Amino acid sequence: MRAPIRRFAILFAGIACLYAFYPVYASGQQAAAPRPGTARISAPPPGNTVIIPGPLRSFLRMAGISQKASPEDVLPLLARNVYIQGYEAGRETEFLLLLDRYVHQARELQALAGPAGEIHVATCEEAIPLIQVLGYRLRQNCGQKNAVLVTANPERAFLTIDSGFPLMGLEEALQKGTPFSYSFPTTRIPVIFSENDWTTLSWGRRRATGSLIDVLVHDPSVARLYWAISKVDVETRQALQQSAGLRKLLPYTAVFDFYGSQICVRSGRVMVPGGANAEHAWRDLVGASPDSPEDFVVHLLAKDNGWLAVYYDALSRVNQAQQAHLTSTPRMRHLYDAFRTPEADINPTRSVFRKAPDLLVLFTRISWDPDGNMHVPGSLEVWKEILNQKTDSKIVRDWAKRAHGWNQSEQLLEAMVSMARIEADSGPLQIYLMLSELDAGRPPEKRLSEGTVRLLASRFAQFSNWYLAFAEFPDLNDTSITRFVNVADAIDGISNAPLRGNTLGAFQANIGLWQIFARQGEIPVSALNTSWQKTIEPFAKISSSGQLFDAARGSLGELMLASTGKADRTEDEIVDLLAGPPQKSAEGQHMRQEMAARIRAVLDDQRLVSLDTLFALSDGLNEMVHGKPASPRLVSLAGELREFELPRPIFTSTEKVNWAPPVYSSRHAELQIKTDLTKVIKGPSSPAQLEAARSQLAPFLRDTLVGLNYAYYEPPGAQILHINPLFVRSHDFSGMTIMGAERLWRAPELVGIGTPAGGGAYLLGSLADLPYALAETEEDFIAPENIQALIWKESVPDLLVSSTLPRWWGVSPNELHAVALYQRSGEELLTDSVGDTQLRAKVMNILSDRMTPGRLERTEQATRSPADMAEMLPRMMPADTFYLAAEYRRKFPAEEASLGPANKELDDLCHQNPKDVDLDRLSKDFGVPHPTLTRNYSPELLNVKPFPAFGGYSSRLFGESWESSNLYWARLADEMGYAPVMLNRLAPELTRRMTAKIFATDLEDWQALLRAMQETGDEFRQGKIALAVIPGTDLQH
Amino acid sequence: MAKKYFLFLWVFSGLLLGGGAWLAAQDDDSSRIRVNVVLVQLNVAVTDRKGNYVSGLRPEDFSISEDKISQTISTFEEGNEPTIRPTTHGAGQIADAGQEAGAALKTQDARLAGTSIFAGSNVFILFDTSNYMYRGFVFAQDAIADFIRSLEGVSKLAFYSYSRDLSRAAPLTGDRSQVLRGVRSTVAGDDAALYNCLLLTVKDTVQLKGRKVIVVFSNGPDNASTVPPEDVAELAQSTGTIIYMISTQQAQSEPVSTAVFERMSKATGGKAYFAKSWKDETQAFASIRDDLAHLYSLSYYPQMNPNRGWRAITVKLVGKNLQKYRVRTRDGYRLLQPAQLSSGSFVEAGAGSSQK
Repeated sequence: MRAPIRRFAILFAGIACLYAFYPVYASGQQAAAPRPGTARISAPPPGNTVIIPGPLRSFLRMAGISQKASPEDVLPLLARNVYIQGYEAGRETEFLLLLDRYVHQARELQALAGPAGEIHVATCEEAIPLIQVLGYRLRQNCGQKNAVLVTANPERAFLTIDSGFPLMGLEEALQKGTPFSYSFPTTRIPVIFSENDWTTLSWGRRRATGSLIDVLVHDPSVARLYWAISKVDVETRQALQQSAGLRKLLPYTAVFDFYGSQICVRSGRVMVPGGANAEHAWRDLVGASPDSPEDFVVHLLAKDNGWLAVYYDALSRVNQAQQAHLTSTPRMRHLYDAFRTPEADINPTRSVFRKAPDLLVLFTRISWDPDGNMHVPGSLEVWKEILNQKTDSKIVRDWAKRAHGWNQSEQLLEAMVSMARIEADSGPLQIYLMLSELDAGRPPEKRLSEGTVRLLASRFAQFSNWYLAFAEFPDLNDTSITRFVNVADAIDGISNAPLRGNTLGAFQANIGLWQIFARQGEIPVSALNTSWQKTIEPFAKISSSGQLFDAARGSLGELMLASTGKADRTEDEIVDLLAGPPQKSAEGQHMRQEMAARIRAVLDDQRLVSLDTLFALSDGLNEMVHGKPASPRLVSLAGELREFELPRPIFTSTEKVNWAPPVYSSRHAELQIKTDLTKVIKGPSSPAQLEAARSQLAPFLRDTLVGLNYAYYEPPGAQILHINPLFVRSHDFSGMTIMGAERLWRAPELVGIGTPAGGGAYLLGSLADLPYALAETEEDFIAPENIQALIWKESVPDLLVSSTLPRWWGVSPNELHAVALYQRSGEELLTDSVGDTQLRAKVMNILSDRMTPGRLERTEQATRSPADMAEMLPRMMPADTFYLAAEYRRKFPAEEASLGPANKELDDLCHQNPKDVDLDRLSKDFGVPHPTLTRNYSPELLNVKPFPAFGGYSSRLFGESWESSNLYWARLADEMGYAPVMLNRLAPELTRRMTAKIFATDLEDWQALLRAMQETGDEFRQGKIALAVIPGTDLQH
Repeated sequence: MAKKYFLFLWVFSGLLLGGGAWLAAQDDDSSRIRVNVVLVQLNVAVTDRKGNYVSGLRPEDFSISEDKISQTISTFEEGNEPTIRPTTHGAGQIADAGQEAGAALKTQDARLAGTSIFAGSNVFILFDTSNYMYRGFVFAQDAIADFIRSLEGVSKLAFYSYSRDLSRAAPLTGDRSQVLRGVRSTVAGDDAALYNCLLLTVKDTVQLKGRKVIVVFSNGPDNASTVPPEDVAELAQSTGTIIYMISTQQAQSEPVSTAVFERMSKATGGKAYFAKSWKDETQAFASIRDDLAHLYSLSYYPQMNPNRGWRAITVKLVGKNLQKYRVRTRDGYRLLQPAQLSSGSFVEAGAGSSQK
């Protein structure tokens, strides 16, 4: 065996397939009790199952499928893994070879198990054939304590271990001379349609075996079609099979997989986006009527190499209100013409990920003016200029030419839709998405001026990540925004690289602090603009380190003045302010202390010099410059600068240069180590020497200010922040450590991973998006609880940020209770809709804006009996039930009182404390940030359907569309009687625990998130989880 | 008014955290002084020039200094023999005038009387599951299983595996069968984040009593860690954790890992092995087992030392006849803050923060 075994992690599964309706019969296996997040298991018709040799658990291990996947998920996930992981350059990978070999070994063991499905050996002699099949041999004789099993055939032995055979049980039995028994049944798992329907599709040699497992493992096109069809709802897949037939779909498998999951057929008609009003337009676009699912679907998938399917999929995923706008006539046709025009011959399935993520973002977030036209930030004339900016894109250049004659916003919309085909992160579409979000939060009279739009667009590639602050704080006016860009430009103009790096760090750190204080309400709204401008202004003219020190200090003073009314604050006071606003309740005060202690712990462990020391040293040196004698305390303070020590080196300097040249990152820290002000203080020193000494404080001040930001956003379970004292100091603001580094104002990237001689990973770039970068840095220090599970990089950073960025200082007990009541009210609505046709229709209509057709179908099915609904409720996302109740109450206010007890209680709360149940307030307090989707860090509940997985920066869309965690933790806290402030501890820690429990197979496996969250909640309710606290700050509940 | 002094024992790892020492800090209330008393434990191997272990040494044969300040040996143990309280080097002098927490130490002393503070060793095996060849994977498991079966006198064992993330396959237990099951439950992984996972493993040892040992079985270079090996080595040194490293790579084939393995293990008092065949792996495990059986365990309460940074430890043999022997132990430690010691593992409710 030459190639290394690269077991792909258990990370990927499919959400739609979780709702497949094929029940299960697990022959020889005890049927598992239904668990939250797993589909119901009941006896299937015998013809709808296939046989897997051996226990399901072993097969799942070998196939890279989560052990928590339900039986009906197994074949879809197998099919998915085969086509994604099974081939490289057309050749079968080790994963596939191992899986195939395992199936053979399992069949051998099956023969040993016999019809009873149990491997049983009573004596040593009887065990010999079994041991041989397993690839082992017995060292020493049976019945001896030192009789152990050792490898005889490595390939077989590997399969034995990897599939989880209980080798130790066998060994112990042989040592003791006792019989060994192991249940080794054939396992029946459900199949979509029938086995024959799939095996006859394949032309490969495996067709002859008649085994679907063999066909899926060796025919990737059939495997992908199986995966694709598993993602559509049951009625649709049956309609497609009966009308088009699987063979007709086979040529379009890739398009169907990426863009077909939203296709929905009901009662023989395709339910198109936009509904009945849009059917005619769809018929024209597709070239077939929605009344003929076969023709419609095949044409849809085939048209323009699949680009129409991309368009259809994006429209299907937005809510009904947006659909109504976008599918109106003739808009839908025009938009598609614009979308398909650029190189329609290119295949939208040529990559590992779906194409055109920004089309979905645009359709989701587009805002409409009262006249029904798309909102245009600035003016159409400005956008003509923006399109004329220099670009390498032919598409943009073509649109720029056409833009000369534009006179309506619809033309801009068409251009934006067309540009969704361009893979870019700073093109005109990205500028539009950003600037429209900025305008969306501003009242009409305070929208961005043309000049500001022009300015922001022209500097977008450089500063776009910082524009999120202007979205989060819409009170910031044109002057504040312009001033930021001008000061940032001035900083970029600093020619001395170390000085520029230190200025960038200090400037961004103070803006970061401003954002925190403003978000926590510690800066009055009326002072947002003045404080912002005063915070950034000192950095406008920096030409020396001494100036930088004074500017950073002055800037911080202005910030403190705006927040507290006093400029000079000690570091302790600043940390207290960062921890949260002052609290009245004992619990609030204690929690605030705990949060402050966490911040201080990071500052201590990063061994950062305190602001108090730095300011006192500066003042003392300044006095000396003006002729005063040195204060005796000054030498001792200078000694504090030298308390920081580099970690004991493992590598020599030469080794570091040779082994890690691109990422050798401790230059900044090494300069600090050399800083010794004592000689200058002890003197005699000239004023110039004293001033030079004072300027050496600037890098220290930068680090402490940056450290305050790092500490505030510490992810739960962080290790690097506490163990690598170089981490903050190593932040590379000016790209010094990587030659040619660009994008320095953009979101930071973690570099230096897996480079032992590089001094540890560190962040390169700006402090924008710092919470996410820190979460990415620390996520792998959470140890998964399940064997074979790995940390899910596509969603875990978002989960962690969603639990640490929001703070719950201003949440009232009523508000907390309201969040719980909304979720319970949603559950009541679902329960009450059982047997109530009218209510069911209303409920389903509301949920259709949040659910895929598959989930919606399953939910609707559950409304047919109380038992099914009782089983369904734990599988509802908290965001679903919350939204359902909220929307129902908004749409049908007269019906509130007739509903169940939770609705009645919520009704009472609404009347008694309307502010506490205000949906905007709840959305802000219990929502999550969506920096990719809404270009805004403000927590919010968007109530969108789950986003699919995309590549690049859009990969975060999936994680951002998960909005259930904080709602669930809040309900948990309410039910267990915790004060709302306790969420500041509960949410991060429970999210960490939840992360360790995630056992997913697919990138879009939302059920795995739900299951992990509920398991965490169950353990917490049972008192099994103690929450980590800083020693000495524990708050007893 | 006379000041009242209250002494607080803050002993992170039961008694034997090698890290912190006399960490005195005055509370806001000026009448109270908080003193953290921590015993520094050293595991010392003494060998002759041929590498043979030298046994039968007594406490008086050793001298310990920390930052060149002479220290008093508090407890002494050879291999798995019972603990000895030194007499010749000032038994009962545990808390002399130079040590702030005399009263507290006497309490500690009383607690120790009649019991072994080195109540066996705690051995953590950290197994690399990234990018294996089949042959290497299963033969390595065989060698580890043999090692586990052969460890006599070790109180508890744990088996962890790692690729990009850590998997605590068999948490610390005295049940060998459970650990062996953990070994046989591993699955092949993806990238290798050795130093990240070693860091978490070291942290799991923090609160343990007794000797703390980590045996790393590495199959190749680290390509996914974010934490540098220097920090892991320092933490292991500061918590008194010995690290042994076995690499399946030849030493010259991967110089970066070779340098780390040799230096990190040496700094913690352990050893590195480069095993190009499964037979070499078996021999490496046998060598580790032998080493563990011959370690001297010494401990001391540090004398007053104003140094808040790295504290260098020197252990020497006393007397002319012993100068021909070689001494191997960790060479220092750093005072640690509580947050630096917080484990990445989850605390079960009711488990408390005392020893596991």
